[in-house]
Amino acid sequence: MAPQPAQQRPRTLGAADLRRRGAWLNPVLLFVAAGALAVVVLLVVLSWFSTRAATDQAIFDARSVTVVVAHSVAEPAMPVGLVEGRAASVDRFDRTVLSRLLVDRIVRIKIWDATGTIIYSDKVQLIGEAFGLGADEQEILAHGGSAADVSDLDEPENRFERGHGKLLEVYTQVHSPSGQPLLFEAYFPYSDVTQRSADIASEFRPITMAGLVIFLLLSSPLVLVLARRLDRSAADRERLLVAAVEASDIERRRIARDLHDGVVQELAGISFTLSATARQIHEQPEMTRTLDSLGAGVRRSLRALRSLLVEIYPPDLRTQGLPTALDDLLAPSAAAGVDVSVAVEDTSKVSPDQVALVWRGAQEAVRNAIRHGRPRSLLVRVSALPAGVQLEVRDDGVGFDPAVDPPYGHFGLRSIRDLVEEAGGSLEISSAPDHGTTFRMTLGET
Amino acid sequence: MNVSHTIVRRTAATASVVLAFGALSALPATASGGGGVEHRGNCSMNADWKLKAKADNGRIEVEAEVDSNKAGQTWTWRILHNGGVSARGTATTQPPSGSFQVRRLLVNAAGTDQIGFRSTNPASGETCSGSLRF
Repeated sequence: MAPQPAQQRPRTLGAADLRRRGAWLNPVLLFVAAGALAVVVLLVVLSWFSTRAATDQAIFDARSVTVVVAHSVAEPAMPVGLVEGRAASVDRFDRTVLSRLLVDRIVRIKIWDATGTIIYSDKVQLIGEAFGLGADEQEILAHGGSAADVSDLDEPENRFERGHGKLLEVYTQVHSPSGQPLLFEAYFPYSDVTQRSADIASEFRPITMAGLVIFLLLSSPLVLVLARRLDRSAADRERLLVAAVEASDIERRRIARDLHDGVVQELAGISFTLSATARQIHEQPEMTRTLDSLGAGVRRSLRALRSLLVEIYPPDLRTQGLPTALDDLLAPSAAAGVDVSVAVEDTSKVSPDQVALVWRGAQEAVRNAIRHGRPRSLLVRVSALPAGVQLEVRDDGVGFDPAVDPPYGHFGLRSIRDLVEEAGGSLEISSAPDHGTTFRMTLGET
Repeated sequence: MNVSHTIVRRTAATASVVLAFGALSALPATASGGGGVEHRGNCSMNADWKLKAKADNGRIEVEAEVDSNKAGQTWTWRILHNGGVSARGTATTQPPSGSFQVRRLLVNAAGTDQIGFRSTNPASGETCSGSLRF
């Protein structure tokens, strides 16, 4: 009988299956989601950077205002006698400060000499008090430049500023009419810096956001087109693959049928003829032995050819059954002297797809055991589980070190593993040098 | 020189001072209390002067007035603070009183502040001069 077409083959996932797995796999949706996430992340990052840059800009603006006010208003208005604390000079400068310096949100002015004494402040109670100067302030007083810092309102020289909230103090160098370097210090509400920073950042945020959104809007249709092309390509590849597999299947079926119907039948006939002839010429023992020997050789060839047929074209598991198929699979090993045993529990409740996958797994595991393991014994056991099936192929061969030679480095095993994972099962291969190998495949629920 | 005196904020202390020195018509009148001090006096001809000072948040608000009873006169004036010129300017007497006023803020220096007021009418040569301690 010619081998029947296999009707229970493990099915591979196609494009349609991928589509059914969920819309989240849709590349366009993924792109849009990733783009939206990128927009959010970029906005957060850009906001942080723009806020920081805007704060620096606002502080720079405050420094610029201070330098301008100090050199264009305060310094020219500074009368002789101010540094010495002459009352009339202080009066004149005070009136200038009140009318011309306390502008642009400046809430306090202090002018220090090198000893750290306040020679003038619009808070006149501070005039004449000494607090000392920090290193940065000394540096600017001596060499010029400007600097800004948040005011420490706990310091005694800032005790009158405590009602103004957080302040930014900016200092720069000025000179008295006699050329003595002094430190000019102006205080600004820090809320001005914050507000300025927010204003600058808010100017850039819509630009950034609009740019990203426009990019997303423009690129999404392109991605959609590309995704559809990819989808079509995948479908085409799938169709080509299926066609190639089917063509191969048909060819293998034809070869198997030809072998079975031709060579196998011929060999079977020759075997029968040799046996019958040997019985008829029993008076010639030498010839009888020769014919028996030839008959045995033909039968061995016949078994080998049948195993080859199983290899070339898998049996029909539904009609022949898994035990028979496994027996045929192991027949060459038994003939080669390996102690083989097959134990198959009732698999009638196991789905055809799972039975087919068990067959594929057994085929691969047995092939690997014989080729690489050189075992003395080989056990194939198929156990029915409450809602699945388990295949175990165990040999006592040379084994291998999984760390050195990963089992999934081999194409066959990798292919089986992929099929098992797609079917929702698990595959476990355990081995050690000189301790054989166990191949365990579990499908369905344990 | 004729001297008249007006007490703005009368206190027992200032009252006793005024009573003690009221007969001394050559001296300007002084009044003080509640943080304010006021002096009045006659200028070198017919005008009168008034100088007031009161505390203002660490400063001294100084108000000076010259009353000549003739509108349209131009006067130069100076406010002195501890001997130095704190402020100066020119002013014109205004109708109907024929007087002018100047008001300036001075920084309240450590210790007692000596505040002076000088005003001159260049046309007539009349001068007014007064001072107070604050």
